[in-house]
Amino acid sequence: MADTKDLVWRAKGGVRRSTRAWRVRTSAVLVAAVVLAVLVVPPLVNLDEQAVDLGMKLHPPSLSHPFGTDDVGRDLLLRCVYGLRVSLLVGVVAAVVATVIGTAVGALAAASGGWVDRIVMRLVDVFSSVPHLLLGIFIVAMFRPGVWPVVVSVALTHWLSTARIVRAEVLSLRSRPYVDAAISGGASRLRVAVRHLLPGVLPQAGLAAVLMVPHAIWHESALSFLGLGLPTHQASLGTLVQSARGSLLAGDWWPTLFPGVFIIVPTLAIAGLAGAWRERINPRRRSELML
Amino acid sequence: MARLAGRRALFAVPVLLVVTFGVFAIAAASPFDPVKAYAGTAGLTASQENLDQLRANLGVDKPLAARWWDWLTSALTGDLGDSSVLRQPVADVIGERVGWSVLLAATAFLVAILLGTTLGVLAARRPGGWLDRAVTSLAYTLEAAPPFWLGLLAVWLFALKLGVLPSGGLTDTASSTVTAGQVASHLVLPAGVLAVSQLPWFVLYVRQGVGDALGDDPVRGARARGLAERTVLLGHALRSGMLPVLTLIGSRVPELITGALLVETVFSWPGIAAATVQAATAVDFSLLAALTALATAAVLLGNLVADLLYGLADPRVGFDG
Amino acid sequence: MRARSIRAAGGAAAAVALAVAASACSAPGDGGGSGGAKDSAVVGIAYEPDTLSPLLGYGKDGNSKIFDGLLTHDADMKLKPALAAELPEVTDDGKTYTYKLRQGVKFSDGKPFTAKDVVFTYETILDKKTNNASKTELDAVKSVEAKGDDTVVFRLKYPYAPFAERTVLPIAPEHVAGKQDVNNGSFTTKPIGTGPYELVKWSKGEKLSFKANPDYWGGAPKVKNFTMAIIKDDDIRATRLDAGELDGAILPPNLAKKYKNDGDKKTYTAKTFDYRVVTLPTGNKVTGDTAVRRALDVGVDREAMVDSILDGAGKEAYGPVPTDSPWFTRGTERKFDAAKAEKILDDAGWKPGKDGVREKDGVRAAFPLWYLSGDKLRQEHALAYASDAKKIGIKVEVQSGTWEVIQPRMPKDAVLAGGGSPADPDFDQYTLLKSSLAGDGFNNMAHYDNKKVDEALEDARRSGDHAERKAAYDTIQRELAKDPGYTFLTHIDHLYVVDKRFGDLTTQTEPHDHGLASGPWWNVEDWQPKK
Repeated sequence: MADTKDLVWRAKGGVRRSTRAWRVRTSAVLVAAVVLAVLVVPPLVNLDEQAVDLGMKLHPPSLSHPFGTDDVGRDLLLRCVYGLRVSLLVGVVAAVVATVIGTAVGALAAASGGWVDRIVMRLVDVFSSVPHLLLGIFIVAMFRPGVWPVVVSVALTHWLSTARIVRAEVLSLRSRPYVDAAISGGASRLRVAVRHLLPGVLPQAGLAAVLMVPHAIWHESALSFLGLGLPTHQASLGTLVQSARGSLLAGDWWPTLFPGVFIIVPTLAIAGLAGAWRERINPRRRSELML
Repeated sequence: MARLAGRRALFAVPVLLVVTFGVFAIAAASPFDPVKAYAGTAGLTASQENLDQLRANLGVDKPLAARWWDWLTSALTGDLGDSSVLRQPVADVIGERVGWSVLLAATAFLVAILLGTTLGVLAARRPGGWLDRAVTSLAYTLEAAPPFWLGLLAVWLFALKLGVLPSGGLTDTASSTVTAGQVASHLVLPAGVLAVSQLPWFVLYVRQGVGDALGDDPVRGARARGLAERTVLLGHALRSGMLPVLTLIGSRVPELITGALLVETVFSWPGIAAATVQAATAVDFSLLAALTALATAAVLLGNLVADLLYGLADPRVGFDG
Repeated sequence: MRARSIRAAGGAAAAVALAVAASACSAPGDGGGSGGAKDSAVVGIAYEPDTLSPLLGYGKDGNSKIFDGLLTHDADMKLKPALAAELPEVTDDGKTYTYKLRQGVKFSDGKPFTAKDVVFTYETILDKKTNNASKTELDAVKSVEAKGDDTVVFRLKYPYAPFAERTVLPIAPEHVAGKQDVNNGSFTTKPIGTGPYELVKWSKGEKLSFKANPDYWGGAPKVKNFTMAIIKDDDIRATRLDAGELDGAILPPNLAKKYKNDGDKKTYTAKTFDYRVVTLPTGNKVTGDTAVRRALDVGVDREAMVDSILDGAGKEAYGPVPTDSPWFTRGTERKFDAAKAEKILDDAGWKPGKDGVREKDGVRAAFPLWYLSGDKLRQEHALAYASDAKKIGIKVEVQSGTWEVIQPRMPKDAVLAGGGSPADPDFDQYTLLKSSLAGDGFNNMAHYDNKKVDEALEDARRSGDHAERKAAYDTIQRELAKDPGYTFLTHIDHLYVVDKRFGDLTTQTEPHDHGLASGPWWNVEDWQPKK
């Protein structure tokens, strides 16, 4: 599975600096292209992505349809862009929700300490023991297909690592001399939290959120592929691959190939960019690659 | 070591309790009605009286905790309830499918380890070289690629275009006996795809581990002594580079389960994971609950294996082999 | 140490794999039977019966394999005697049907079949306590009576013209089924009948295995072992047909077409009465409007749907009756004409709004259209319908759901539905169009309410005269053209791909419900496999 965190950690070892700079630039360009495509293209073309053109059924890629058309004559490039938009939206919302939950839980555990900390972190351990996709499937199955069950299912299965990271960060910040000084100097809890802890935690949480986006996209597409995610007539990267299955068995490869490329490219681009960010805020992690 | 295993086993009990309770809580919070699910399309036209009776029979009118406790106590006696979608006892469903899932996952895992180690060592030999770059780029791409997509492309290429391998199922003909040869040929594609989806992790970790080891003192010392590159690489670097990989193998169980879920679906492999998807589509609660518990247990077992391996391979015990 | 660990881990995994391969002796989900053998056949179907008891509705339209009816249909859908010795004698102005029974027929447990079994079967089905969903199909029956061992007399409440068509329903043995709970007894899963096959095993959700009844009164079938594998997913069914696990399967057109030039497999196209239709509920301000209904009726391009959604395997539908049926009313075809559709809407006061969607008296011409999630054919019909509607200024929002989600919305929301029954026009039209059945389960889903149609439906079912009946069904079809409360889209052919070693097979004209009875295996007992 696309474990982006692993991906980023390992991306750094043994690669020359120039290559790395090139990789970051490429990633940045790709991420910009993706964001631009999903924000600008739909309002610009203003087409009904569900509109079918039965006369244009399953045309292979050509100049007028670079990705070809699907089995009811829809342009696959457009479908992929719309699908990416839906998947990205689901991914971003789920990542933000998961990060908020994770940050809240992690901060709560670290701030409370004692038995609250122990119980909360034990619960985090417990739920880490259930494979994400399986728990996601369970939640979606219970709440029927649709956008929101998918978002909830992805968010609820992805906050665990953020909670751990934030908790560790808060604990390490709290032990710093200047925070100690501020506390013993009589600063209010809120002031300490806002002035000293928040600036340290925010980048970590933000990084976790960004890294989670491809993960969430991946989960959405897996759920949709299994027929448990978004309704099949709604374009998302998962439903596109799912509905292409019949065409593939009949020998037409293009409806399957391109949505997959649309999953891979943004994932790699976001991972590449987030890797650079992580290196800036966490230089000390370099030596901990293997952990 | 026994103490470690014991501690882990003790930890597993509360974990399973909490996870199963969580599963029941999610089901209770959902709008899904087990009575209607049980009745199926017939339930649409069934009378209210009929549905009420069914509700009482199924015990779903009881409170959440009571239902969970009932399920748990009967589960301990081996009765996991009946699967409404496959219409047989859940224990039977799991019993006749788990073997095929284990076969698929074990084969894929083995292939991924062997292939991943080979590629990882090759890549680590000259960091930044063309082979390294090709292997790492491939690994990143494969890691980002969804297994179900890889599976579909594999079906298209090997089953449809080249016609060399069967596209799915377990056996060739509809024979009721399963022969090893048939299973083997049907195993190639799903196990291959699952292996490929697990491969990047091994490649990248082995490459990193071996690469780091090549920079370590013992290896540099060996090189300085003029040992052959082959000996240095395989005799020293691989050994110390593989250590962290080995100890983490057990922690790959969740990813393996996730991959198997998707791969089994693509290839209609009659394993546990495919049953999970069927159960989810049909909102087959008893089967889903049991499968979630089972997967959690598998993950815990994987963690235990990881810890045991770590203990076995503890540097203090025998770093110099 | 470490190298040893690697080897040990590998060895352990291999040992596990071997142990699994050795211990697993049965394959869940496998097709069963012994494929390749000349006297065995394994076919893949999409539907599974809820029960195998004829008393609960199993095999009510014939071809039940395990059972026989008094009558049965031949390949041309003509009635011929089965457990009856000849076609019934109709007297008393069509209110009395007398059947002479075939002699010497035995159930597969060796007990003789008699008139008492016939009376038992019909009386049990009509019993209020029996959970038979299609009970109303026998609504006309007043009494069933055995005259001796070899004659059964049906008396009807009113002259019900298509009654003989109903007597294809399978006869259950009183000495088995009569001794247990009709709704839940073991007979519902372990049936015993007089038919060409006996049930070996029903692995629910997986397959039904049959073996030939060597003492069948019609002669022992040549295909000795017959298995129906239940595979709901079209793609998986196609994959398994490809893999050689199945000898035959029903497939959607796009998956069937690659077998067109296959050397080993033959494609059969069954004509059907199976239509896809959009319900336009009377209770919705938009879909209840006659102008909207008529505009949609001429504004949808049925030809394009047939050509591309069905790959040509079907016909344009203008009503429940297919255009090539003798019951079809010539001249009720509606040509695709988007301009005419727009004019109808303009004339009725539906004016284009800002976003291109028409409005009238503050009501936007928009409505939801539901399809059964996972049903690709219905999804594509729904999307094509919505696209065509959009071009004439009507916004159709396509939604998907399960029947539990869809059913409560049927009074207000449109549904992409299916139906059709070939044996007699009464069978599907009465339940689809009769106003008094509005909202009764899946009957009259659109709550269609048309007095003329109601009257014609009654006339047609009570009259025994063919010309009179034809006239009544003509009236219905013309009324449907004037007030199309349903937009009929297509009649879809059912495509079957079967191994050539079974020779040239036939198909019947098939109903919507293509369960066990349909397909080239409707008469598997008569197949002559090549050596």
